[in-house]
Amino acid sequence: MTTSADASGARPALRLAGLGVAYGRRAVLEGVTGEVAPGGSLALIGPNGAGKSTLIKAVLGLVEPAAGTVEVLGTTPARARGRVAYVPQAESLDSEFPVTVAQVVLMGRYRRIGWIRRPGRADRAAAALALERVGLGGRAGDRFGILSGGQRQRVLLARALAQEPELLLLDEPFNGVDTTTTEVLLDVLAEQRKAGVAVVMATHDLSIAHLACDTGCLLNHHQVAFAPIAEALTPELLGETYGRSAVVLAGDCTFVTPH
Amino acid sequence: MSALVDAFGQHFFRLALVEAVLVGVVAGVVGVHVLLRRLPFFVVAMSHATFPGVVVGSLLGVSLFAGGAAVGVAVALVIVALGALRQVDDSSAVGIVLAGSFAVGVVVLSAQPGASKDLSAFLVGSIVTVSPADLVTTAVVGAALVAVVAAFHKELVLGAFDPGGLGALGYPVRRLDTLVLVVVTVALVVCVPAVGTLLAVALLTVPALAARRWTDRVGPMTVLAGVFGAASGVAGLCLSAVFDIAAGGSIALTATALFLVSAAATGGGRRGGRA
Amino acid sequence: MSRALAEVLLLGVVGAVVGVHVALRRLAFVTEAVQHTVFPGIAVAYAAGWPLLPGAAAAAALTVALLVGLTSGRRRVDVDSALALSIASFFAVGVVVVSRRSGYASDLGTLLFGRILDVGRAEVVETAVIGGLCLLVLGLAHKELVLLALDRTQAAALGLPVVALDALLYAVTAATVVVAVRAIGTVLVVAFIVTPAATGRLLTRSIGGAMAAAAGVAAVLGWIGLSASYEASVHHDVRLAAGATVVVAYTAGFALAGAGRLVLGRLRTGRRPA
Repeated sequence: MTTSADASGARPALRLAGLGVAYGRRAVLEGVTGEVAPGGSLALIGPNGAGKSTLIKAVLGLVEPAAGTVEVLGTTPARARGRVAYVPQAESLDSEFPVTVAQVVLMGRYRRIGWIRRPGRADRAAAALALERVGLGGRAGDRFGILSGGQRQRVLLARALAQEPELLLLDEPFNGVDTTTTEVLLDVLAEQRKAGVAVVMATHDLSIAHLACDTGCLLNHHQVAFAPIAEALTPELLGETYGRSAVVLAGDCTFVTPH
Repeated sequence: MSALVDAFGQHFFRLALVEAVLVGVVAGVVGVHVLLRRLPFFVVAMSHATFPGVVVGSLLGVSLFAGGAAVGVAVALVIVALGALRQVDDSSAVGIVLAGSFAVGVVVLSAQPGASKDLSAFLVGSIVTVSPADLVTTAVVGAALVAVVAAFHKELVLGAFDPGGLGALGYPVRRLDTLVLVVVTVALVVCVPAVGTLLAVALLTVPALAARRWTDRVGPMTVLAGVFGAASGVAGLCLSAVFDIAAGGSIALTATALFLVSAAATGGGRRGGRA
Repeated sequence: MSRALAEVLLLGVVGAVVGVHVALRRLAFVTEAVQHTVFPGIAVAYAAGWPLLPGAAAAAALTVALLVGLTSGRRRVDVDSALALSIASFFAVGVVVVSRRSGYASDLGTLLFGRILDVGRAEVVETAVIGGLCLLVLGLAHKELVLLALDRTQAAALGLPVVALDALLYAVTAATVVVAVRAIGTVLVVAFIVTPAATGRLLTRSIGGAMAAAAGVAAVLGWIGLSASYEASVHHDVRLAAGATVVVAYTAGFALAGAGRLVLGRLRTGRRPA
């Protein structure tokens, strides 16, 4: 079993053992096995529909495993939820919705605030801090939908930061975003890792995966590999994952493996 | 104009006015959530679904609320359950259930003698026949609805905006969704004495739509929707007295007029930017 | 009675076929909208003593134009809201118009629920002609409409006149609603278009099969519903509204098919379908 980042024997932030998920009779994910240590970072790589989102849902406890186990922060996904933050793709959200940037970031604090109560000063302060961290402090009062795609993605990251999580799950955060956003995302993720937060991100961008993650999990409905990033991103394994030879992946491959 | 002055002198008219305000406020407030969760079609459907319950409740001498709400909620649950059938899409499921339950109501009612008059009361309301006891019921139920909506405000807004995020945070998404559907259904039944089941959709969608033209923030939008709802009720009622037309219809039309004025006044294009 | 039966069978079959297309495009709300917006057209015609069909047709045409304008590329919630708005206001107009006449309550009932047992020969002929035309048009454009429903982008890429086809479907739906409204009333019409079609889709997988199954179901259940209401009214002295009884029969058929599907589904997987 491969473990990411430090192998000092600390409890892994995420442990998957033979995980399988099925929708009805159809198996959408099989045989996923691996660990992510606190402060470690895992890239989920694979074509669309390969099961990356499904894996994330399993870690969040939103789908039941058909086989194997998922252990999050030493316990079940359901019990770990308050300490796990999820960053969806910004484009999946309605841009006409009448909600401000500040309100979106505050949403990360809702579990702490609890039912019925309103956000307090401490919550607003945490939200403001998170927003500053992603470089959008001045946009707090704007409607969420008028920001650019990259800015909205950063707001969603701020929402996750406001939650003060121990595990961050990101679904294709770098898709179609501008360079400022890319830099901010990488910066924040690196900072979170240093603070001991584990990161799991689904991504298409192999160069970013190589840059930002220490472990790679290649998926194509089943696990093709779960290994340190440099070992995972080889033409053979990528070819097996994406169903074509790595040479044809010229559009995606922006790095060269030393041979 | 003298017709209007005369009307104010009548006790029944004053009662109707109070009912119009109460119903307008509740419908406006709940209507904001109808808008946020894209439920206008659901409301149209439920306005048909609550009909048999209202009919049966009235025939049994039971409170309209009990009958309408019970059947309405049952129908809402059936629609949710139908979501399990992949071959039937949501809007078809709603259409089937609504027409079916409405038909049941018609069949039951048609078997009674003297059906026509009652029918129109159920369908387009008879606000001018509300009693003080009715007012108390409306006030109590309405207050309860507003309280629920206020208590769960932040979770409901998040659920409408990002249901995945709500689930990821650990909230029971389906239960909250069901809560909203139940609230909307009960609000619909609240509207029945005033505007009937078929026109209730007007109060539950239009004031909120009008409010949306004026602001981008959910808080002010809710207040404004309540105001617009009450205004539609009162103005519609007065117009019905002046022109001798059905009150339910004129209330619905006044709400629509308010919306059209709002749309024109705020420039017709989508609001952006300033919150 | 035989005229009423003919009317129910005709409407059932046409509704079933149109309904499968409506289901493919998830346009049940369109049917809802048309059936309600038709109401003022009918109300005005009724109040003025004109024949109902042109009044209904005019209102329906207006709705179709509105729909085509609204739905090209707009967000779903905007369309739904606009439709809810139109439904409410058009219906309110109809109510107000009718309320100015005396005998308000029974007029309303007639307009809302139709009078299928009183349907005349001319009406049945009109239904047959218009219904036949709708079926013909759908048959001719069948594969284009199916492609459009399944993959809109592909259809556009292949050069199909997407907007025109949309308009065609809305028009056919509206026409079906208009002919059905006189017999069934404006409130229950949606059942004729949506329910047997949904039942058909639960029973078979292919589109053609669904249409055949839907038409068959509509015919059989229509006959059952009409007979039941006739029996009750004539022989047991319980007046059951005929149109509504047919809709109850349709819904019962759907419920049976749906329950059957769910049970079969659970038996096969051995656990809840995801």
